[in-house]
Amino acid sequence: MNFWLVRILSIGAAVGFAWFLSVATVDAPTLLGPRLVALAGMYVTLAVSLNLINGITGQFSIGHAGFFQVGAYTAGILSGLYFKEGMNPMMWVGLMSIAGAITAGIAGLLVGVPSLRLRGDYLAIVTLGFGEIIRIFVTTQQDPLINGATGINVKPQHNAVFLSILLAIACIAVCRNLLQNAHGLPFLAIREDEVASNAMGVNTTKYKVIAFVIGSAFAGAAGALFAHTESFILPDLFKMELSFLILTMVVLGGNGSITGSVVAALVLFYLPEVLRGGEGQATMAFSGPMIVGFFVGLIALVAGIRHSQQRHMSSQAAKFGFLAFTMGAAVLVGVVVSLLAKASPNLSAAKYDVNQLRMVIFSITLVVVMLVRPQGLLGHREFGWGLFTRKSATSEVQA
Amino acid sequence: MKPVLALDQATIQFGGLVAVNKVSFELEKGDLFGLIGPNGAGKTTCFNLITGVYQPTSGEIRFNGQSINKLPPYKIARLGIARTFQNIRLFTSLSALENVVVGGVLRTHVGLAQAALHLPHASRSTKKLRKEAMELLEVLDLADVAHWRSGDLPYGSQRRLEIARAMATQPELLLLDEPAAGMNPQESEDLMRTVRRIRDEFHKTVLLIEHDMKFVMNLCEKILVLDHGEEIARGGPADIRSNPKVIEAYLGEAV
Repeated sequence: MNFWLVRILSIGAAVGFAWFLSVATVDAPTLLGPRLVALAGMYVTLAVSLNLINGITGQFSIGHAGFFQVGAYTAGILSGLYFKEGMNPMMWVGLMSIAGAITAGIAGLLVGVPSLRLRGDYLAIVTLGFGEIIRIFVTTQQDPLINGATGINVKPQHNAVFLSILLAIACIAVCRNLLQNAHGLPFLAIREDEVASNAMGVNTTKYKVIAFVIGSAFAGAAGALFAHTESFILPDLFKMELSFLILTMVVLGGNGSITGSVVAALVLFYLPEVLRGGEGQATMAFSGPMIVGFFVGLIALVAGIRHSQQRHMSSQAAKFGFLAFTMGAAVLVGVVVSLLAKASPNLSAAKYDVNQLRMVIFSITLVVVMLVRPQGLLGHREFGWGLFTRKSATSEVQA
Repeated sequence: MKPVLALDQATIQFGGLVAVNKVSFELEKGDLFGLIGPNGAGKTTCFNLITGVYQPTSGEIRFNGQSINKLPPYKIARLGIARTFQNIRLFTSLSALENVVVGGVLRTHVGLAQAALHLPHASRSTKKLRKEAMELLEVLDLADVAHWRSGDLPYGSQRRLEIARAMATQPELLLLDEPAAGMNPQESEDLMRTVRRIRDEFHKTVLLIEHDMKFVMNLCEKILVLDHGEEIARGGPADIRSNPKVIEAYLGEAV
């Protein structure tokens, strides 16, 4: 098929999809409203771009929030200086995201060139330091354009749904193209074996720096969109926790799997939001014994699944049967324990609503996934890729 | 004729240990050259010197007359020296085919931007590389397992895949580090034929390290013996087999 026809059609489809979301979200309830959808797009961008560095090229970077912040403050400062009322807000925000990508890309280059020449965990330490340095530097600046710890208002406020979704699609497309192409394979080769890649003529330092700069630039672009969507930024929004949240998305989705990063980013972003519940809404409440029973049942379930993974089951049916049995047993154990717990007056009087428990549920989800599937939701697999299919001798290879 | 590879008094010292001491030899085009010696004799260190993993403390290494002392490994690979590794270093989670494709990438001139945008030039080049890689896998009898995850291949196949990957760079000089290690007699016989074919049909110069004496003696026309980083003998297989120094240091009386 004609290359340009396909290309134009796919770009058209991406633009159409982003436009559709930007229109459809306007009157949607909060969960699907413009702000959360735009933020979801940014988190997808952050996770996929970090995946290019961590999962695909195999360099351990844990300072992604730093580049996100560089982009956000670039947009904030430039808007404070040059934005005039009457300009088209979407054009301006698009321009700002390009500016954010450039500054964050440059920051990525400055951080990457010295630290990526080295092998091992140096990059982790340097990026961790970079993220903190940027945040603390901004906190200490009293200039009204930056305004230290108090933060700045970013004008124009613009729910960048369209741009955010488009950015996420662009980021996914770039990473996917690199992996589909023979010329992107060196990224994966570096992750697998740096010495061998070098011996095959791959300039490993160059490839690592490029991956790092591309990843940082996408984070910067997302940061600019973030600044305009929230219209207020302060250094505390870019703490180390954010870096770790993005890293968690990559690891949870399966290091190196783009699809995995996307799914994990959406799940981890939406899970706390869904659990939050709206104001004034009746939220689900759980009594103490129910919670105790639930946790005990969960532990039994995880133990059962771990056990089935370690044992060699003769057939798929046996595996399935064991799993079903485990689930039943776990539910039963949970119910029994919760009935027993009712005997304790303190516990049965206690009530918790979901909102209070949301961060607990969030953390427990992570722990459970990591115990049951240490290689992440998708491992190295991708959804819908036909070009490089990897078959393995054993149907399932544990990482 | 100018030698393809020349080591001139090449020496490398790690602290007090002289791992390779004033080793000199030359490879002519089309040579099948064997490097043997007991464990720790400095054979793999020699390979690492030639491929730029280490830089010689003194002496010089020339490839086609050009000094490659100070070049990084990837530049040396691009000049036309490819190698395999003693402890197999495949890109484990990539397929066999992808491993070989990576070897071919250095010969192409496609920018990363073209790859990132998946432009026609990049996809054409990808197709060509995959076709070439498939042909190489056929030469090394790996076509059936082209789409296997390379880490799942049997040991012997992994060794052959390393050779295929090195061949994909279309080198002038091929360095094989214990290619027959861990192979059964039948496999190593097949490998011998393959290596000879690589030399004769693909016109490569081959330098190899091997402990399997049957393999070396049948395959190599010239042999250099190292012990404690120093040359103790050189010559054809017959000279080596009867050389008293080699028998004492390495072969033992039985051979």
